[in-house]
Amino acid sequence: MKMLIILAWRNLWRKKRRTFITISSVMFAAFLAIALMSMMDGMRDQMVSSIISSTTGYIQIQDALYHDEPILDHTMELTDEISDLVSQFSDRIAFTVPRINGFCLGSKDMGSRGVYVTGILPEKEEKMNALSSRVTEGRMFSAEDDYAVIAAGLARQLDLALGDTLVLLGQGFQGATAAGTYQVGGIIEFLMPEQNNTMVYLPLKEAQLFFGAPDRLNSLIIMVDSESDTEGLAADLANRLDPEWHAVKTWEELLPDQVAAFEARDAQVRLMAWILYVVVGFGILGTIITMMHERLREFGILLSIGLKRTQLAMICMLETIMISFLGVLAGIGLGFMATSWFKHHPIQLEGAFAEVFIELNVEPIYKFSNAPDIFIYQGTTIFIIALVVGIYPIRKILRLDMINAARK
Amino acid sequence: MKTVIKTTNLSKVYKDSVVPVHALKNVNLEFSQGEFTAIVGPSGSGKTTFLNIIGGLDKPTDGHVIIDGVDIATMKESQLFDFRLRHIGFVFQAYNLIPVLTALENVSFIMLLQKQSKQEMEKRARAMLEQVGLGDKINERPGRLSGGQQQRVAVARALASKPDFVLADEPTANLDTESAFNLLDIMARLNKEENITLIFSTHDQRVIERARRVITLVDGAVDKDEYFERA
Ligand SMILES: Nc1ncnc2c1ncn2[C@@H]1O[C@H](COP(=O)(O)OP(=O)(O)OP(=O)(O)O)[C@@H](O)[C@H]1O
Ligand SMILES: [Mg+2]
Repeated sequence: MKMLIILAWRNLWRKKRRTFITISSVMFAAFLAIALMSMMDGMRDQMVSSIISSTTGYIQIQDALYHDEPILDHTMELTDEISDLVSQFSDRIAFTVPRINGFCLGSKDMGSRGVYVTGILPEKEEKMNALSSRVTEGRMFSAEDDYAVIAAGLARQLDLALGDTLVLLGQGFQGATAAGTYQVGGIIEFLMPEQNNTMVYLPLKEAQLFFGAPDRLNSLIIMVDSESDTEGLAADLANRLDPEWHAVKTWEELLPDQVAAFEARDAQVRLMAWILYVVVGFGILGTIITMMHERLREFGILLSIGLKRTQLAMICMLETIMISFLGVLAGIGLGFMATSWFKHHPIQLEGAFAEVFIELNVEPIYKFSNAPDIFIYQGTTIFIIALVVGIYPIRKILRLDMINAARK
Repeated sequence: MKTVIKTTNLSKVYKDSVVPVHALKNVNLEFSQGEFTAIVGPSGSGKTTFLNIIGGLDKPTDGHVIIDGVDIATMKESQLFDFRLRHIGFVFQAYNLIPVLTALENVSFIMLLQKQSKQEMEKRARAMLEQVGLGDKINERPGRLSGGQQQRVAVARALASKPDFVLADEPTANLDTESAFNLLDIMARLNKEENITLIFSTHDQRVIERARRVITLVDGAVDKDEYFERA
């Protein structure tokens, strides 16, 4: 066996340049596949965490009817039952974020716009999405304040400056009229236009008063300790709640369009990766075939003097394994360096690309992931392809007519 | 004298060509331990076919090849691989050696496949390379040896594992006169010293006279079988 390994290794370096080129091609394929996956995974991670923190959170507890008809009448009361439940699962829940929200009309003087009033606990939002870091003028309220923080686009449209008064008018809980005036105490900047042109934040208490729905919430957002626990925790919570009254939704249920978009893009990238694999596969095959054919006479002689076909096949297999292993290893090394670099130095996007990201509700930067499973997956895939390619010389050797091969 | 190889009614017909070729017709020959035999005859007379069949590389259409009391014509391919490895040494016309191995490793190769012990193997390989006059080239790869030197390494390899007999199909065909004589001299000497049966085929009148027995094939049949006294 040792002899076979030595032979395979030395055979590899008979045509140094060719072997080098083949190894390089495997390396680049592995590298590209890794880069592709890393970018995709990184983007996905980033989108998920950005979507989760800026919109739905991981899990929401809602009134049973709210999902199908999200109106104020379908808000839920934050009962002791729910608070107890949350504290029972405190080892798996990082924190909860209560929100109440609804559309109404916001106006100043003669101008008015549709706005989205959201009542929040500022310290909870802070933990979830660092909301106050977006404040460009004034400052975020505290839970006890009674002023509003409004989005910059809306402020421009209604010509609202700090200290001005915003008039809100809409429908409250169970048909009551919701009306109120609030001083603008802060201006907040969003990248996504629909947020930037509509958001009005009020302290939770104020908003509940405004909507005539004290103690009620549209949803209680639950931020999990570990993302992978999302499904499990949602199921456990749902088990403990009466489905007649409450529903538990994960972010994937709350954002089915996003999930579908992810899946569509995953499929595209996988297709690209497979095209890459096929190209590498043929690259390796080409080298293996030439390596084999220029040695047929040698093979004939080796078989004549007593080397078994299986041993010869083993040599060829080892050559294939070595070439692909070296290539994959180099590709992984290169990929790891590159992805690590880009993970810490994300690419800032501009122009049309950036628009796409903004539309998807995500900050326009490329972050790369260097999760080990990317390397393991890509590495083994290419390696397995190489092994499949290695079947060709084995079949050929098992059928080789050694007399004719030796005579040529 | 002990009989090493015995063929009875050996025939070979190649049916794959348009007209079937009768490459061997009823060949009955015996080779004794220690003989040094040349197989001669015009091109196409069946020399290679004969050597391939007694070497277990090819099967006869008819007849028997008895080696060591067994008929190798009836053996399965996997058995033949092992049989060749243990009993027969081969020297081919060219490309005998593994290019990526040194002369020493090439000579050791068969012993390695036979799983001999490392020390013995290396000792024997060195001794054989000394015998063929290449004691100073043991670490060279074939690419850096002349054609004659390469053939000498091949002879050393064939004999190193002490096979029952060695078959050499036109071992001198690619060599100049001097190298050819040199190779045959070495083969003759080793045949005597090691008492290994040696059969080679050749076209080359110059080297025939090194052999003590000369078998002439014509059209696949034995035409002459002569013995000579040599010094
Ligand atoms: N694989 C084959 N298929 C068909 N015919 C073959 C095959 N091998 C040999 N022959 C034919 O068998 C006959 C004997 O060939 P062989 O090679 O044994 O002759 P040879 O004496 O070794 O010739 P040379 O001196 O040219 O090497 C020739 O007519 C040859 O054409
Ligand atoms: Mg011939």
